[in-house]
Amino acid sequence: MEPLYDYAWLIPVFPLAGAMLVGLGLISLNKATNKLRDLNAVLIISLLGAAMVMSFALLISQFQGHPVVTRSFEWASAGTFHLNMGYTIDHLTSLMLVIVTTVAILVMLYTHGYMSHDPGYVRFYAYLSLFSSSMLGLVVSPNLVQVYIFWELVGMCSYLLIGFWYDRKAAADACQKAFVTNRVGDFGLLLGMLGLYWATGSFDFQIMGDRLQELVESGAIGGGLAALFAILVFMGPVAKSAQFPLHVWLPDAMEGPTPISALIHAATMVAAGVYLIARMYPVFENIPTAMDTIAWTGAVTAFLGASIAITQNDIKKGLAYSTMSQLGYMVMAMGVGAYSAGLFHLMTHAYFKAMMFLGSGSVIHGMEDVVGHNPVLAQDMRLMGGLRKHMPVTAGTFFIGTLAISGIPPFAGFWSKDEILGATYASNPLLWVVGFATAGVTAFYMFRMYFSTFEGSFRGNDTKIQKQLLAAARPSGADAHDEHHDDAHAHSHASKPHESPWSMTLPLVILAVPSALIGLVGTPFNNYFEAFISAPGHAVEHAHEFDLNEFLIMAGSSVGIGLIGITLASLMYLSRKIDPSAIASKIPALYNLSLNKWYIDDIYNSVFVIGLRRVARQVMEVDYRVVDGAVNLTGLATLLGGEGLKYLETGRAQFYALIVFGAVLGLVIVFGVT
Amino acid sequence: MTSFPWLTAIILFPILASLVVPILPDKDGRTVRWYALIVGLIDFALMVYTFANNYDIHSDRLQLVESYTWIPQLDLRWSVGVDGLSMPLVILTGFITTLAILAAWPVTFKPKLFYFLMLLMYGGQIAVFAVQDMLLFFLVWELELIPVYLFLAIWGGKKRLYASTKFILYTAGGSLFILVAALAMGFYGDTISFDMQTLAAKDYTLKFQLFMYAGLLIAYGVKLPIIPLHTWLPDAHGEATAPVHMLLAGILLKMGGYALIRMNAGMLPDAHATFAPVLIVLGVVNIVYAALTSFAQRNLKRKIAYSSISHMGFVLIGIASFTDLGLSGALLQMVSHGLIGASLFFLVGSTYDRTHTLMLDEMGGVGQKMKKIFAMFTVCSMASLALPGMSGFVAELMVFVGFATSDAYNLQFKVIMTLIAAVGVILTPIYLLSMLREIFYGAENKELVEHEELVDAEPKEVFIIACLLVPIIGVGFYPKLLTQIYDSTTTAMTAHLRDSVPSIAHKQSNPVAIGKFQQAPKIAKTVNS
Repeated sequence: MEPLYDYAWLIPVFPLAGAMLVGLGLISLNKATNKLRDLNAVLIISLLGAAMVMSFALLISQFQGHPVVTRSFEWASAGTFHLNMGYTIDHLTSLMLVIVTTVAILVMLYTHGYMSHDPGYVRFYAYLSLFSSSMLGLVVSPNLVQVYIFWELVGMCSYLLIGFWYDRKAAADACQKAFVTNRVGDFGLLLGMLGLYWATGSFDFQIMGDRLQELVESGAIGGGLAALFAILVFMGPVAKSAQFPLHVWLPDAMEGPTPISALIHAATMVAAGVYLIARMYPVFENIPTAMDTIAWTGAVTAFLGASIAITQNDIKKGLAYSTMSQLGYMVMAMGVGAYSAGLFHLMTHAYFKAMMFLGSGSVIHGMEDVVGHNPVLAQDMRLMGGLRKHMPVTAGTFFIGTLAISGIPPFAGFWSKDEILGATYASNPLLWVVGFATAGVTAFYMFRMYFSTFEGSFRGNDTKIQKQLLAAARPSGADAHDEHHDDAHAHSHASKPHESPWSMTLPLVILAVPSALIGLVGTPFNNYFEAFISAPGHAVEHAHEFDLNEFLIMAGSSVGIGLIGITLASLMYLSRKIDPSAIASKIPALYNLSLNKWYIDDIYNSVFVIGLRRVARQVMEVDYRVVDGAVNLTGLATLLGGEGLKYLETGRAQFYALIVFGAVLGLVIVFGVT
Repeated sequence: MTSFPWLTAIILFPILASLVVPILPDKDGRTVRWYALIVGLIDFALMVYTFANNYDIHSDRLQLVESYTWIPQLDLRWSVGVDGLSMPLVILTGFITTLAILAAWPVTFKPKLFYFLMLLMYGGQIAVFAVQDMLLFFLVWELELIPVYLFLAIWGGKKRLYASTKFILYTAGGSLFILVAALAMGFYGDTISFDMQTLAAKDYTLKFQLFMYAGLLIAYGVKLPIIPLHTWLPDAHGEATAPVHMLLAGILLKMGGYALIRMNAGMLPDAHATFAPVLIVLGVVNIVYAALTSFAQRNLKRKIAYSSISHMGFVLIGIASFTDLGLSGALLQMVSHGLIGASLFFLVGSTYDRTHTLMLDEMGGVGQKMKKIFAMFTVCSMASLALPGMSGFVAELMVFVGFATSDAYNLQFKVIMTLIAAVGVILTPIYLLSMLREIFYGAENKELVEHEELVDAEPKEVFIIACLLVPIIGVGFYPKLLTQIYDSTTTAMTAHLRDSVPSIAHKQSNPVAIGKFQQAPKIAKTVNS
């Protein structure tokens, strides 16, 4: 099996080669490349397919007990400093490789249908391939610097893809917001990395952890300093995995095309934060302050996301807040020490959330036939309803995803979420309460989404609602108004949405399989997953015995609260026995808090965005008036004083240079002779 | 070793070639631009050939040394030589200047004078990096100001007179300090000599060193530039044309950094140890202050000019870090910014050729028609904001790690300075991405589209950017490609500098927490469970 490991570096290189090839084609032979749509797509998909095959082979080999393989070469050096790069293949890496390649390849297949009418079809594939490459490079990284490198690269791909439709103002704003917010996290990651290197002299995860612990124990480094470094590093995952308080970019990132939302902003890149916490586990686990911070950040985010998701009407924004909430669960799991549970949820969530995002894309695709290519209309659930009759495959798969995320056995989400809640309960009951309540809210908002979209009667032709929505959207983009009008009335629309083409439904069906079943690899009575993935340095804990009673109580209660949420949702949005707007008007403060995303965006905008603009403007004023002003005055004085400098004013400035040169030369000679 | 005067040939060839320009038969500037380009290419090929064959990268000594007596009464010698500090910059000069000649293709106003100056500048710039005599250094430093001054004064924009006067006042004023310092150092002690190595070997008193250091810091601080001596740069950039931008950002700023390392650090090490914290603070101020100013600027050229100033802050921190890594990073940052700055300014020029405005408020939605320029601008901005995979990231990372692990400073100072410098990491994408958004994203600006024809990039423009991106990305992927060329020099230099820092000698007996881990991390051997 060794050649497999020797050539493992090809996994990220394959998609990179695809991206480069297509990218070069786009730059040099734009028209010809754009014409060969299918050829480009086939090239990129097959290259990724090759990477996927290798990933599966590595997973199987690792599963059979192959030892960890690390290969590296010297990347940078200066004097005594040496920094190596390379790849490491262990259990976690092989698992992540499979997750990333499978989701990516299905998303690429789906893209063929979803973007078929887009003029940027080929460019989109090039970006997708570039992203896959960066993400695969990230998961094979053997040290923190390499993670940082690919971490930023996936961020750049995310920037390019969110801003894919660059003529839309909202997309332009969103992509910049995403990049800058992530840079704030990277700022912490960079500082933490520097601090850890200063302290331990290494970028290797395990060595950093061991040495840091040694140094703290021997008192060479204060515990507070170590905790500070750890929390700084954790700022990276906070931004990347959309944790509070740096979560604001993720919902806005939905301005990108839907396949991106599924691949980057649900399944892979946002999970990279959780992956980094897992990699940094040797450092974090010995620092209780850092672990508590991680756990509470996760818990707060989980609840925050769920509480906002309740009132969202845009189907993709709803899913985005749901993603944020689920990422909160994973981070919380890492924080309470449930290493394998957190990664288990990462895996199950990657599949069911990718499927649901792709499903929402399919819904939007169908809706666009009725309401036109305007995201304000096509993505709003108030215009949907009854889509199950028109789009049965989409509805069926979406339903499976909804059950999975709501924690209904035996679907995937049940097992992973239950494991997290169990571990949280054992660690800190207060955290468990937050997680438990969030589980109920999750079931409620997901079924609200399912019922409003797929059940009831179709409301897409209701021009009254359409007008209301357009009116509500208008203040945010006055110039966008015209183009909406064109879109809404220029084409003659179908009156009913239609099911999407096979290239879109097939990935949904394939993803439905793991969404339903993959949880079975991690059942508490026979946990293959935990046996395979466990925290570094900890031997597989066989002592972890299965207690049926405990399981029944924990699982029963979490299924119970899920069912309560579902019932409530069905009363409000399916049978309409309870009027949601009546509840909303009874508690306007809470309703508005949720609808306005806890006003966090507004606060950031007025404090940071406007604040920074003001500071920058003032610095520029200082530069202009004080620094430059002083110089100009002195310049004026020399001008007035020097009679010979009159040439300047008459415009024969060229002479001046020669005079200076001559004078200096004279000076040199005079000095030299004496 | 060969006796052929390679370096002299490299310096003099473009200068001699420039003398032929006035007598070239040429009416509309077509012959002369080809002539200049070919001269540039030949000289670039010559230096690549010379360094490939006659330069040993493992030696930290001065190589390819030539020395001829010029004016014996003054002990003025034509002496040239290169080591790891100057060799990469000489190649950078050849590379950027040749591309700048190509970028100057559309120049139709007084083409003969333009290319004459361009070739003169070519030789002058190389001479700055190669000469080993301090008086000679002063002369070529002055010589290279004249073409820039004329470029600004003749081919500049509306405020060209103001900008060019400011440029000459600043830089000529600054260089007086070089002259004074050169003379003072030359006459110091028993022997009178202006040879740089002799000067470096002299044993100056600390007080004398501090005076000299301060003077030279002003001279080179103007050039780098260091805040508050920077205000000539935005004005000069605001008025210059694209090829001149490339020279200014690509090479001229690097002269300041080069001279700081060569003279301030190399010849006056005791003063350097005293001044180093000041350099760190100035560097941090440069990074943050210029980034903020850049964000507020509404004029595209001035915005990029301030971005240059911001990036030069890393050079200062690297020089003052007293670590191999920091110094190596500083040099890498100079080369890297030479490439990135030149590419950004070239693209600004290309954009201006189409929109005929530099004000961001008058642009918007340009990306829909100028897709290739949009793509190239995005890539170069990413390089500038230190995206990994490109050279800027490696340089900044090396400077950061170098400074953070430096044992010449105490922990508090390092923490505070690193923290503030890292704020620049957040500010850089803010101003660069807002710039991209305002130029290219969003709906098309109707007024602009009606009045200007926005054609996409020509093959020549794509070619120039591609040439610049190849080394940017190459170094980003594999930094050793470049760092190994000069590593022996920077390592020797750092060892020399560290001897002068009292606190380091102190600490040797009193190891800090890291003491035992200070060796190279051996990542390859470790195994994650």
